[in-house]
Amino acid sequence: MIRLDRVTATAGTFALRDVSFEIDAGSYGVVIGPAGAGKTTLLETIAGIVPVASGTVWLRGADVTRTPPERRRIGIVYQHAYLFPHLSVAENVAYGTADGETAREMVERFGLGALLDRDVNALSGGERQLVALARALATCPDILLLDEPFSALDPRMRVLVRRQVRALHAERGMTVLHVTHDFNEAGRLGHRVVLLEGGRVLQVGSPDDVFRRPASPAVAEFVGAENVVPGRVHSVNGSPDAERVVEFTSGGLVLHAVSDVPEGEAHAVIRADEIALAPERRESSVRNQLDARVVEVAPSGVLARVTVDAGGVELVAVITARSAEELGLAPGREVVAALKATAVHLC
Amino acid sequence: MPRPEPRHGGQRAATIVTAALASLLLLFLVAPLAGIVGGWGLDGLRALASDAELRASLGLTLETATLATLVGAAGGIPLAYVLSRRRFRGRGLLAALLDLPLVVPHPVAGIALLLVLGRGTPAGRALLAAGLEITGSRTGIVCAMLFVSAPLLVSAAREAFDRVDPRLEAVARTLGDPPWRAVRRVTLPLAARGLVSAGVVMWARAISEFGAIVVLTYNPKVASVLSYERFTAYGLKSALPVAAVLVLLALVPIAVLRTVHGPDSLPERRG
Repeated sequence: MIRLDRVTATAGTFALRDVSFEIDAGSYGVVIGPAGAGKTTLLETIAGIVPVASGTVWLRGADVTRTPPERRRIGIVYQHAYLFPHLSVAENVAYGTADGETAREMVERFGLGALLDRDVNALSGGERQLVALARALATCPDILLLDEPFSALDPRMRVLVRRQVRALHAERGMTVLHVTHDFNEAGRLGHRVVLLEGGRVLQVGSPDDVFRRPASPAVAEFVGAENVVPGRVHSVNGSPDAERVVEFTSGGLVLHAVSDVPEGEAHAVIRADEIALAPERRESSVRNQLDARVVEVAPSGVLARVTVDAGGVELVAVITARSAEELGLAPGREVVAALKATAVHLC
Repeated sequence: MPRPEPRHGGQRAATIVTAALASLLLLFLVAPLAGIVGGWGLDGLRALASDAELRASLGLTLETATLATLVGAAGGIPLAYVLSRRRFRGRGLLAALLDLPLVVPHPVAGIALLLVLGRGTPAGRALLAAGLEITGSRTGIVCAMLFVSAPLLVSAAREAFDRVDPRLEAVARTLGDPPWRAVRRVTLPLAARGLVSAGVVMWARAISEFGAIVVLTYNPKVASVLSYERFTAYGLKSALPVAAVLVLLALVPIAVLRTVHGPDSLPERRG
């Protein structure tokens, strides 16, 4: 278990401010954030390398805020490996363990057998990363901190190593906290996502929560939601604070949504793959059927990004290139943009 | 071939002038020393065999410089580590204070030491009571050498530590090493070359010291004092063999530094 309680810490130009979140024992947490968000500082704070100015760090239920790194029983793998340049590959892997057996197991797992006597300065970026992973895991930590560990790997190797890390996570019941700026990686690996920007936590939740129900327009844009529209919420029926059907307006655009946000200014977040395009209105359960005009069709591979104007607001829909072709979509073409009320997230 | 542009002609002239100036300086630096060794090097080596005073003086110089370097390393390497790794209030001031002995004229350094450690001072009396005579003794020589050359060791050792990424030590800590063991297993081996050359630089500076030593301890005579005495008492001719031996001695640390760093060594690749 990893828990941070209102942690503030500074390392050089990076600072964490009032950071709180919890990763359950045995689960896989992912921290995503842009460059300079303080992701590495966060890991180093958990590892005890960066001192905490205020707040509390908990590991396995114990307060470790003042515990030195060597007694936290964690493993850390940096983006740039940080192998000991004066030691061989074998010596690096065995650095933290007296147990040759575990070191040998790691060597085997990561296929390092052929590299053992090599000078670490002669390794490729991917090989260095493997050695760093093996070195951290050879001490059998039950908490593993990964700082963009796959970014130096080529795609084939990345798949391989990711599989190994996931297997080890499952076998050993390790708690993993993995820092990345890659949303795909976050969604694929994580049970829990922590969104970090400017040293602050913007949102913590399941990947689905963070991607489908961002807590703020900033999060929405950050996780790559294509449509973030400012406007107003009007209650239609039901209690004004509970979950209910509301009407969201932005200029000439009117959307129905299910939400518990209060009346007043808000943002509507709609993922592009939730918007369907049709030649005309249809009888269906889909609450939002908007008259729209195609502004732009941008094919990319098997998909096409179609920008439409609905009531003066531009919305992006992603559909298959085949559908775009069959519908004869071209700028100026009148279409109906359809999306369910549940696909409109208000924040 | 096309005629060079006038601008290129100007550049060539600048190159010639620069090269000429550089060569003149090089000649100025090397020629006197080369002259001494070339002219009197053999005399010097012969004097080593026949001149017991020169031999004793040389032995004394090597011994005191080595002792001063060991003492300097024992205190200076930890100090350099702290200056390189820790951020604390007064760090800049401390670094500036450490440079002070380097910019003070060396006889002044000797006078300052005399004021603190001389026979009449409280510290001097206390040391004397403990059986340590400072002025006119080997201890005095070591003190003078330490004062003028330890700052060189500290600043070179600090640079050596600066070149080792602190994250390597942090990784060692996460792998179970307490602070001192991480330093011993990671930082010291990686800084070793730099630390050795810091010691050599200090040693060389200690060997060549004259000003501070002569104020604190004229006798027993280290080699630099001996060469000065021979020059003032018996003239240039009798000073020359001693001078030649001292120049030859200076080649030793230079050779050691070349061996430690290699003729074309590059900075360590970072992990």
